[in-house]
Amino acid sequence: MTKKRQITFSIVRSLLALAIALLVAMFLIFLSADGDSFSEKLSAMGEALKQLLIGPLFRTGGGGIAFEGKRLADILSAMTPITFTGLAVCIMFAANQFNMGAEGGIMLGAFVTAVVAIYVPMPAGVHSCIAVLIGGLVVAAVMIVPAILKVKLDVSEMVCSLMLNYIIMYVLKYLLNTSYADKTKGQIQTYPFLNSAKIAPLINNPIFSGAKLTWGFVIAMIAVALSGLFMYRSRWGYQIRMIGINKDFSKYSGISVGFIVVLSQMIGGFLAGVGGGIEMLGRYQTYSWSSLPGYGWTGITIAILAGNNPWFVPLAAFFMAYLSKGCDLMATYANVPSQLIDIVQGVIFLFFAAEQFLSRYRQSLVVKTAQEELAAQAALAAASARASDKEGGAANE
Amino acid sequence: MSEADSRPMADTSHDEYVIQMKKINKVYSNGVAANREMDFNLRKGEIHALMGENGAGKSTLMKILFGMEQPTSGEILINGEPTVLSSSAVAISKGIGMVHQHFMLVPSLSVAENIVLGMAPTKGLFLDKQKAEQIARENAEKYNLFVNPKMRVADIPVGMKQRVEILKTLIRGARILILDEPTAVLTSQETRELFEELKELKEEGYTIVFISHKLDEIKEITDRITIMRNGRSMGIYNTSEVSKEDISRLMVGRDVVLNVSKDKAKPADVVLRVRGLNFVNEWNIKMLRDVSFDVRRGEILGIAGVEGNGQKELIDMLFNLAKPDSGDATVEGKSIIGLPQKKIRDMGVSLVPEDRMLYGIAATASVEENIISDRSGNKELNSGPLFNMKNIRELSEKLVQEFKVLCKSPEQKVGMLSGGNIQKVVVAREFSNEPVLILADQPTRGSDVGATDFIRKKLVELSRSGIAVLLVSADLAEVMELSDSLMVMHKGRIVAYFEDTANLSDEEMGEYMLGIKKQSPEEIRRVCHD
Repeated sequence: MTKKRQITFSIVRSLLALAIALLVAMFLIFLSADGDSFSEKLSAMGEALKQLLIGPLFRTGGGGIAFEGKRLADILSAMTPITFTGLAVCIMFAANQFNMGAEGGIMLGAFVTAVVAIYVPMPAGVHSCIAVLIGGLVVAAVMIVPAILKVKLDVSEMVCSLMLNYIIMYVLKYLLNTSYADKTKGQIQTYPFLNSAKIAPLINNPIFSGAKLTWGFVIAMIAVALSGLFMYRSRWGYQIRMIGINKDFSKYSGISVGFIVVLSQMIGGFLAGVGGGIEMLGRYQTYSWSSLPGYGWTGITIAILAGNNPWFVPLAAFFMAYLSKGCDLMATYANVPSQLIDIVQGVIFLFFAAEQFLSRYRQSLVVKTAQEELAAQAALAAASARASDKEGGAANE
Repeated sequence: MSEADSRPMADTSHDEYVIQMKKINKVYSNGVAANREMDFNLRKGEIHALMGENGAGKSTLMKILFGMEQPTSGEILINGEPTVLSSSAVAISKGIGMVHQHFMLVPSLSVAENIVLGMAPTKGLFLDKQKAEQIARENAEKYNLFVNPKMRVADIPVGMKQRVEILKTLIRGARILILDEPTAVLTSQETRELFEELKELKEEGYTIVFISHKLDEIKEITDRITIMRNGRSMGIYNTSEVSKEDISRLMVGRDVVLNVSKDKAKPADVVLRVRGLNFVNEWNIKMLRDVSFDVRRGEILGIAGVEGNGQKELIDMLFNLAKPDSGDATVEGKSIIGLPQKKIRDMGVSLVPEDRMLYGIAATASVEENIISDRSGNKELNSGPLFNMKNIRELSEKLVQEFKVLCKSPEQKVGMLSGGNIQKVVVAREFSNEPVLILADQPTRGSDVGATDFIRKKLVELSRSGIAVLLVSADLAEVMELSDSLMVMHKGRIVAYFEDTANLSDEEMGEYMLGIKKQSPEEIRRVCHD
């Protein structure tokens, strides 16, 4: 199949998956919509859909639609942590390591960064960088546990990392309630971060007022570029991908499979940890997470939507953030239960992840390409035959 | 054997046969003709051997008889009635059962549950375990096939697994049993037990097809024998009337003479030295017995033998894909046993693996990515932390051209190429990393004529440039004509060594390959150039 056809296929497939998911969503929204009569329900559904589809970027109502910068900034800001977890999962999944530790990783990274931000005074600028880096490195170190267990004892990294998430969560909860608690406050939280550790907002424009878009977003995009280069332009990234495609081949080729398995999970852990730290220093004043934030799970969805390719992670993250925002608005303004987002997300996810979805359409494209190639070859052969005929004819004369 | 005997027997009467397969042709969608004008028949109550080298078409013929494959043309008669065996279900309903070489059992279920699978007695919604065990026990007694119905299949020995498989087919009403290399996984004691059981089944009127290439077993247990070569029948004989030598002559032989042109080898010093390798596999079968040999710079040493006689295991040991129980192998004086593949490759060892889809390539990666898999850390291909994409592209384009890989660009996925071109990608990588020793395991299997020819020429060229080559091939023509010197493996042993392949006859080779003849230890020891 030509590259162009492949892209056409991906786009058609994505749109169709979306359309089907929306149909299912419409049906569910209709069922749960307020109103006694059919028409009332219908108009309630219309309002809900409007909020879901265009609400995340535009203010509606009053008959007009107006673009709203703050809402865009909100979405970009929401993209930041899930971009990091998406990248983390991409790199681990590309090596065929189904490590689910991005969830615990982002929480641990956030906590460690917070501790450094509270207790270790440093000059402004340096402080946030070092705090985030330490957060990332600690998570990378923790991810050695499932990786080594996998390599040495063939323990399933999926089970191990899932369990690890809860160990991390409860240990952090304990620490938050005891040694690191700010006992002067009624809520369970740490002391506030030192001012030197805070990550500055990206834009101080009144249009975006209130949105918490920070430099963290820029760092996330840099991380996308670095991960993309790492995966497709460096030997370790190459080896990670080869192991993911065929482990036996990689071993036979002389790639150190055990090392690469550990490396991929450490890099994944590092990215998740950094994501947690940036989220913490950019959007919060104190650390107060008492349960898993859910960014790691979203990261898995994003990685699958992006086909484990870091370059597509921002797109997938934007999509997920947009959807999440739309559902929030729907819940606020159209009285639709916010739980619906899970169902809509689930349906979209199902169709994206289903490898065989539209496989017939793909097959027809493959066949078409093959036929064209054959026709081209035949034409070429005929042309060269004609040419040689002419030569032959000329010689005869 | 007189002239008259060697003629295949004419089929005298129609009702004599339970199965007749006439003029069966089978061409697979990839163009391989596995069966050509193949005739085969079975008499009621006989044990019939089906012999032939790997790739001769035995399995295809039996898959057709069991309804798993449809013949391209030809006719099947069951008890004289023309029958279409459109699926295995139809074949089973006609009383045909097959025991595959690799058992089709559910390891976590009990023996009884496996036996009744798909026809299980139930109590309400649930399996009636007691009834299932009773069925298993009764049938085991009836057919005199001892099994323990309560044990999990995962926990029982191989011999019992095979009895479970046979019981499964018998309970489903099979009167004709096809056994695909049943003794390949059995120890000699288990083989004895199986033979007793088969003889009893035969006396009760069951017909058995016994696929094997072990001459002793065939001579011992079968009544008639069909020999296949290259998809064709070489005739049907009464086993008692053909000698082992005749069978070997009919079964092993070159169909084409290649006439590879090559200069005489000038072997220099020893590169690969193998001493006393022993290996027992997971089923407790000795796959390598005291294997010792040397490969010298500038020569191609061939290993001939029927597949499954230790060749694969030997290559696995040399590339650390499995560990020997004892013995050593050195390359230029340094041991390679147990070293990581990276180290082995750094010492200049290349391997063209037998299973190219498993070890040879990453199918969904590009041609280029497959070419650099053994050298992704090389200085020339990296600049700082990143790949030097320009040099990588130059390398892959150069190799694609030199090895005549037909692909649109080095970015094309390797899995999209034809078998021959995939093999050229593997060979391009393995031949281009400045090896001192090339292990070539079935280097041309499944390749088209052009690719095969090209790869063979390359091997000769490389060996003449001073590289040591160890060639393993099931293709007799290839291994006899490419090799400068040749050894034969049988049952994990080296049974013959020929310093010069020029005057070797197919007959002689066949006798060594099938274990009829064996050289003296002194003659074999000449392969060690101490």
